[in-house]
Amino acid sequence: MRAATRAALAGIIAFGVVAGGLVGCGSTGGSVVAFDVAAAGVPGASLIEAAAGWHVTLSRATLHIGAVYLNLAVPISGSQETSCILPGIYTAQELSGLDVDTLSTALQPFPAPATGTDDEARTGEIWLTGGDVNADSDSTVIADIAGTASRGAQVLPFTATVTISGRNRGIPPSDPAQPSAHPICKQRIVSPIPIDLRPRDGGTLAILIDTASWFSAVDFTALPADGVLPDNNSNSASQNLFTGLRAAAATFQLSFR
Amino acid sequence: MIRLSLLMLLLFALPRLLYAQPADAGVPDAPGPSPQPDAGPAGPEAGPAPSPAQPVPSSGPSTEEPPRIAQQTPPPYPDVPKVRQKPVDVVVHVEVDAGGAPSNPRVISPPNPPFDDLAVASVLGWVFEPARTGGQPVASHLTVTVRFDPAAKGETILVQGKLNALERGHQAAPEVGAQDVRVEAGKLATEIPHKDATELLSWAPGFLLTNEGGEGHAEQIFLRGFDAREGQDIEMRVNGDVVNQVGNLHGNGYADLHFIIPELVQSLRVVEGPYDPRQGNFAVAGSADYELGLTRRGLTGSYEVGSFGTQRALLLWGSPGSDSHNFAGVELYQTSGFGQNRDARRATALGQVESKLGEDGLWRLTTGAYLADYHSAGVIREDDYAAGRKGFYDTYDFGQGGAGSRAFVLGDLEVQHDQVTAHHQLSLTAETMRLREDFTGYLLDQQTSFQQPHGQRGDLIDLESDAVTAQAQGWMRRTGALAGQPQELELGYFARVDRSSSQQYRIEIATQHPYVKEADLDATLGDVGLYAALNARLARWAALRGGVRTDLFTYNVIDNCAVHEVAHPSKVTPPGDASCLSQQDFGRFREPVQHATTSGAVVLPRASLVLGPFAGLSPSLSYGQGVRSIDPSYISQDVATPFARIQSYEAGLAYKGSPGDIDTSLRLSGFRTQVDRDLIFSETAGRNVLANGTTRLGASLSGRVSGSWFDQNASVTVVRSTFDDTGLLIPYVPDVVVRSDSVVFGDLPWQLDGKPLGAVGGLGVTFVGPRALPFSQRSDTIFTIDGSLSLTWNHYTLGVKAANLLDTRYRLGEYNYSSDFHSQAEPTLTIARQFTAGAPRTVLLHLEVTL
Repeated sequence: MRAATRAALAGIIAFGVVAGGLVGCGSTGGSVVAFDVAAAGVPGASLIEAAAGWHVTLSRATLHIGAVYLNLAVPISGSQETSCILPGIYTAQELSGLDVDTLSTALQPFPAPATGTDDEARTGEIWLTGGDVNADSDSTVIADIAGTASRGAQVLPFTATVTISGRNRGIPPSDPAQPSAHPICKQRIVSPIPIDLRPRDGGTLAILIDTASWFSAVDFTALPADGVLPDNNSNSASQNLFTGLRAAAATFQLSFR
Repeated sequence: MIRLSLLMLLLFALPRLLYAQPADAGVPDAPGPSPQPDAGPAGPEAGPAPSPAQPVPSSGPSTEEPPRIAQQTPPPYPDVPKVRQKPVDVVVHVEVDAGGAPSNPRVISPPNPPFDDLAVASVLGWVFEPARTGGQPVASHLTVTVRFDPAAKGETILVQGKLNALERGHQAAPEVGAQDVRVEAGKLATEIPHKDATELLSWAPGFLLTNEGGEGHAEQIFLRGFDAREGQDIEMRVNGDVVNQVGNLHGNGYADLHFIIPELVQSLRVVEGPYDPRQGNFAVAGSADYELGLTRRGLTGSYEVGSFGTQRALLLWGSPGSDSHNFAGVELYQTSGFGQNRDARRATALGQVESKLGEDGLWRLTTGAYLADYHSAGVIREDDYAAGRKGFYDTYDFGQGGAGSRAFVLGDLEVQHDQVTAHHQLSLTAETMRLREDFTGYLLDQQTSFQQPHGQRGDLIDLESDAVTAQAQGWMRRTGALAGQPQELELGYFARVDRSSSQQYRIEIATQHPYVKEADLDATLGDVGLYAALNARLARWAALRGGVRTDLFTYNVIDNCAVHEVAHPSKVTPPGDASCLSQQDFGRFREPVQHATTSGAVVLPRASLVLGPFAGLSPSLSYGQGVRSIDPSYISQDVATPFARIQSYEAGLAYKGSPGDIDTSLRLSGFRTQVDRDLIFSETAGRNVLANGTTRLGASLSGRVSGSWFDQNASVTVVRSTFDDTGLLIPYVPDVVVRSDSVVFGDLPWQLDGKPLGAVGGLGVTFVGPRALPFSQRSDTIFTIDGSLSLTWNHYTLGVKAANLLDTRYRLGEYNYSSDFHSQAEPTLTIARQFTAGAPRTVLLHLEVTL
């Protein structure tokens, strides 16, 4: 009986030692992070060389960013991927929208921090949304722009308000076999923005917005007489402005500080 | 090939070795077959000692003699006032080993505490002449009626033993080491709250049960570092019949045990690890076998009512003249459920008859039917709960839930002739399962260019899986002697054919219409297994138990929705929104179906060396290989079936003794299990999917102490589970599980109408350590206490049971993955914590009458 008791006690002690060595150590790899996101314009954002010799001086230029996402996918030039959301590739998200004064070079923080993982991010996405990214209609003003365009002695004051809905920015399907070749969500998501960064807890993701690329293809010769660029793609100037707003790598630079 | 040859050699050689023994070898039969309640490994001492002086076993015609009472001591009549004394009968079922020693007495007449205890104590003090077959002593069990008659002389009466004819019942397999746990239900089953039969698994070490699918969805089981989901890694049997569903699209091996009425579970055998050759497909983390029975005879009716509109009515019938294997039971259950969308209804009927077949046989017929309909809440995002956007017990998707049905008939035949026992079993089962669950919200609905434009329509899975299963199995066990020691060899077979049909749709949440069919499989799946199991006594202090098993799995799968996309579609007839396409590149026609057949075979050696007992201690070493068949959705034509192969090692130490008349058992084991293809949870699939190899390293300590007024069962299991390629922890599985069940019982110092008032109190404690989650996160711990209290008087029992007595708000399951339930303005696409809520305090009042 004594031998049995001793053996049982020895067994229990051995169990305790083994248990101590097994429990609580190790990890599943990676970690979750929370970090700030801030956006700003680039220096000299108010003085721009536009297309066809036009010089643009901006007095107002705000851009509404609905959300920012980072993902693992390496950008592929000419990708024909239709779907706007590819589950499983997103590493970080900033969901609190911000109206960014792109004429200011001071970093303007988003209201709430971003969350994600410390995986290496290779692509950034800027969502120019005010609601459901797939909704056909969205009245949110994405860009509100005012300034003057001058070429020689010609000075043209102008304003532009940009919204994104199916009626003004949608691209009709050219192939009836593919009715969803150009979903409206594609018009609202600026991607791919090439990046190579690894978010860390407590850092800051800086988004620099270069307004010069907005106007790089805008020829103000097409500006209507009232100086208001139409909020659709019927006018070449407004269409090129919309394209410039969504010029991924040219307009947006993402870095982690 | 070499292993197969060795197997064949073993199969042929061993019977010859055994049967070649001369008939007058002078060795008693093999160890007694009856299972011991929660006993340690049946060591070599458990069987009758070989004695050269004993008579030679006859090889002539079989003769049977029932056990007889050789010496008995009458019990005293309890201390009851003379005016209230009257004759009382207590029926006791008792096992008698081949040496004539009684064990495991159970009162099977209606409760009558002071008489019950005296009757049990009295029977244990008797000396029996063992039953004999062919002149050789064998183990048996019998029922005796102990009569307390106040008219008898003095304060004691003589016992009138009514011996039933020799009974055999189902002969249990020998234990295979410290990880082989056998538990008699008893008061642990009735007094600790158990929602369903799956929760009885917590009697064995290391089990954690969770459920994100609702009351009607099979419990998710974690064991020894495995996320066994709903049975994919645990072979589940009921009366030996395998109940894992092969081909179930939600999980190959899905085992819903709600059809078992917990009160009709007489015992439970759990083997943790693949160490017994009788274990088949899905015995990765281990196996569990429920033995149905009803020890309480007569008509028992009970009704429970309590929190959240929960009601449960139960009717059990056990004919007083028959033993525990003859019963019928009906259960009706309904609840509104805690929180949103957790209502459930189910009904179960189970019946069984067992009787002798001639002089040498026994037959048993078990039937059952089960229906369930329920809703479930699914997961809640932690950030939504923290921000107050969702309550702890809320749901995102009210479409979640399910339904199920099962009907089965199971027949057993057991025949003993001389030293050979043969058992055959045949079953037919029809079952349906519908499951609707939503782990991700609005995330997975991909827009393709061929479809009409759509946003995210919702990720609700609507899965239907129906199956008809025919199963046949059997074994022949031969006892004999070799090298002066009793030996036992068992040859067994297992055959199973399943016809299953599964479909899975995604449901548009706004309209509840299916918008895509993700799967449509018809499958005929076969499994034929053969095994040889040896219980070899190498010496009085050493036994080698094990053998080899081989299984052949066949697959015949028709994928009715084989083509979901085409790279270069027809411009004339584009695929549009259809799910199952009838075209291939450039519009060439094809049928949307794809047929595939394949097969694969495995050979699985298993062995346990059990030593002792030395002063009650039995060390053991075990090795075993296991197998898990592949999900039919992964089958390709003529591609060798990629099984999951399991290798497991274990060292154990078991102690069993009765110091101070307190039955004590203790088990300690260390184990290592490696799986070459594991299954890991995928939230997008809503189930476990194939992953890389994994290894578990762990240890388990458990014990049970029981006396005349208490019963205590406790266990602690620790395990480290890692991926083989990275060394990283496997997410979601707990590394520490502690469980304790305590029951105290006895008579109160009061009487009503001359009859004593009995009381029983129970306490169940569960602790689960922080579980590893993806991205180095850890879950919360779980700590819950369940309690019960009941009073028994005459034929009546009144009680109260409380689950989660402290009303702890705990997270039953926790997950890290991306989901988007439209709870924020923009899609939530990165990983986030989600949880399923554990039940708050649930109190049930309970009234039971036994007539």
